[in-house]
Amino acid sequence: MPEWMKWTAPAAAVVSLTSAAHAVQYLTVAQAQKLAFPSAAQFVEVQAGRAWKAESGGKVIGLFVFDHVIGKHLYIDYTVALDPAGRVLRVDILQYRESYGGEVRQASWLAQFVGKTSASPLTVDQDIRNISGATLSSHHVTEGVKRILATFGHGIR
Amino acid sequence: MVIRDRACARTRRPFLSVTAADRPPGLNRSTATVATLLAAVSLLAIDVGSAQAAEDQPAKQQISNEALLKKLDAMEQRIKMLESELKRRPPAPATAAPSRTPAPRGPYADAVPAPTAAAADKAPPAAEAAPGVSEPARKPILGLADSPVAGLSIGAYGEFFFGAQQNSAAGGQWQNGFDARRMVLLPTYQITDNIIFNAEIEFEHAGSGFDNDDKLHGTAEIEQLWVDFKIIDQFNWRAPGIDLVPIGWINQHHEPTEFYSVLRPELYNGLIPSTWKVPGSSVYGTLTDGVKYQVMVSASNEDFGDSFDNRTDAKTVPPPGTAYFPGIDGLNALGFSNPPLGDFSQLTNNIAVSGRLDVSPAFAPGLAGSVSAYYSPNTTPRGAHDDMGNFLGNSSLAVFDAEFRYRVPNTGFEFRGEYVEAIFGNPANLRANNDSDPTNNVGKTMWGASGEIAYHVPLGTILNSSWEAVPFYRYTIEDLQTGGFAGTDVNAPTGAGQLQFHNVGVAVFPSPKLVLKGTYQKVINKDPAGANSDSVLGGVGFLF
Repeated sequence: MPEWMKWTAPAAAVVSLTSAAHAVQYLTVAQAQKLAFPSAAQFVEVQAGRAWKAESGGKVIGLFVFDHVIGKHLYIDYTVALDPAGRVLRVDILQYRESYGGEVRQASWLAQFVGKTSASPLTVDQDIRNISGATLSSHHVTEGVKRILATFGHGIR
Repeated sequence: MVIRDRACARTRRPFLSVTAADRPPGLNRSTATVATLLAAVSLLAIDVGSAQAAEDQPAKQQISNEALLKKLDAMEQRIKMLESELKRRPPAPATAAPSRTPAPRGPYADAVPAPTAAAADKAPPAAEAAPGVSEPARKPILGLADSPVAGLSIGAYGEFFFGAQQNSAAGGQWQNGFDARRMVLLPTYQITDNIIFNAEIEFEHAGSGFDNDDKLHGTAEIEQLWVDFKIIDQFNWRAPGIDLVPIGWINQHHEPTEFYSVLRPELYNGLIPSTWKVPGSSVYGTLTDGVKYQVMVSASNEDFGDSFDNRTDAKTVPPPGTAYFPGIDGLNALGFSNPPLGDFSQLTNNIAVSGRLDVSPAFAPGLAGSVSAYYSPNTTPRGAHDDMGNFLGNSSLAVFDAEFRYRVPNTGFEFRGEYVEAIFGNPANLRANNDSDPTNNVGKTMWGASGEIAYHVPLGTILNSSWEAVPFYRYTIEDLQTGGFAGTDVNAPTGAGQLQFHNVGVAVFPSPKLVLKGTYQKVINKDPAGANSDSVLGGVGFLF
């Protein structure tokens, strides 16, 4: 066995074993909520585990939705924050499980969704860029945001 | 409902029992039982209340008010106890939650069912997916139904070709044909959110058969087989298995929807011996937004391209005096040098190291690229020899690749480019230079480059899907027989190792999961006899 492997292999094994308990979760729902609505005093759940109203000073300042889509084979957990008019404020990837295609987490790619409404095309290769090597993930996340806007993007009552 | 039907409920069912039909979606058995306890206790309390109200019916006044109060106190204590038990229990996993809303339609409707419109102001469903809770039981199998095995999904990709091509073995005669090139099953098993099993089970050329009427001469093979330990974003471990060398772009992304020609790009037909799969283990991760890496250690490629059966029991090439085909030569590049994947049949102890760096800079939307390299200290197999019985010494192999893909924002244009070079440590020790064939010799290096332009044309919605056409042109040049030859052979290459390829065609995507292709390929080399390998091919590829 080459000398460098004798040093690196045990270290890699130790790191693997000691880290196995930590989920590869980039954000929790609570963290994503805070990022999307830093001024919110509270989040009122309107669908269990799915949708929350962000409130501040007794007023609704937006809607926060948790959902997941299939990337290639496994689920991608993501959240969408909408303003009271139904415009996208922010999209975050909470968990990406697959080994390829994780580029959908890139901030520059997710930033494309900001300002989109239920009237936006939200179509890959039109108003959303495709990601080579993550074609299915980019299509599916786009499709997921579009579905959320179709459902919740008509303004909050 | 329970109140109206309580009498029936008490007579038809055992007290404090619950059936699956009664169980609210999302409640597992234990939680449902506790909930039923609460409901039943409440029911009894209501019964008692009714009895109190019926004071004017002496026949029913068998229980005194004092006894009733004691009983109510007892029930109250019981309710509190059950409530606290409910709070202690973990939330019910959503795996047991059948959807109560219609599944959305469309090609990507296999995710979470969308809530109904204006649902934000309504009461929440009894149970929905809880954030952060894994839902293995809802993983699809073949995209059609929930997996019967929690956590298992099976995808697939494949491609088949048809058309006409020149047969160089028949003097360039044009011949029609069909090839079910590959059908690949992709089982993925999510052991946990952090431990993922992946495999590719590939059937090439419609598989294999033994009888004359089968008319099959294909293969069934394991192309990938590994378990990923997802540790942190920056560092993940792929346990030893069968994996793809992290070099170039197409080797790891070789599904037919990733390129536009019917045949794989030419640089991956020898210079990069795609599908370059090896026994190996790797670490990978994301260094920062838009920068990823992978480093692999693997069994080395080997300079042996003969039949598997010609490996000896001693795990050597055939003994001196018996000729064998090289794994590396000036006509097929590295195409026959991949290490075997089974039965401890590798012919070298050497370990190769490879790695790649992927970049997709935020300042240049649509641009992505990579640099990658592979190094083996020695590709000479055990017992390697020339045709005069002399044993061959070591020769290292290094391969470098750089490539980019640029989809120009707000236009239909896409550009791709790639350069790859292989460097041999000691060509004098390569079998091709010592096999008595003067035409297949190898120099110090091999190299190739390609450039491609494509244009994306939306075709609108057809058959409930957004179609896109991508006409393209790709030029490739390769030199597999550069200077620097050394060895015992006479060196008389014909020029067949200096190649140019022109590919022009169109790929039509009815969906990102399906592509219909047509490609004309012109092959030029410097052999006076010509390449005689032009083709006009159609193809169908899919990935889901």
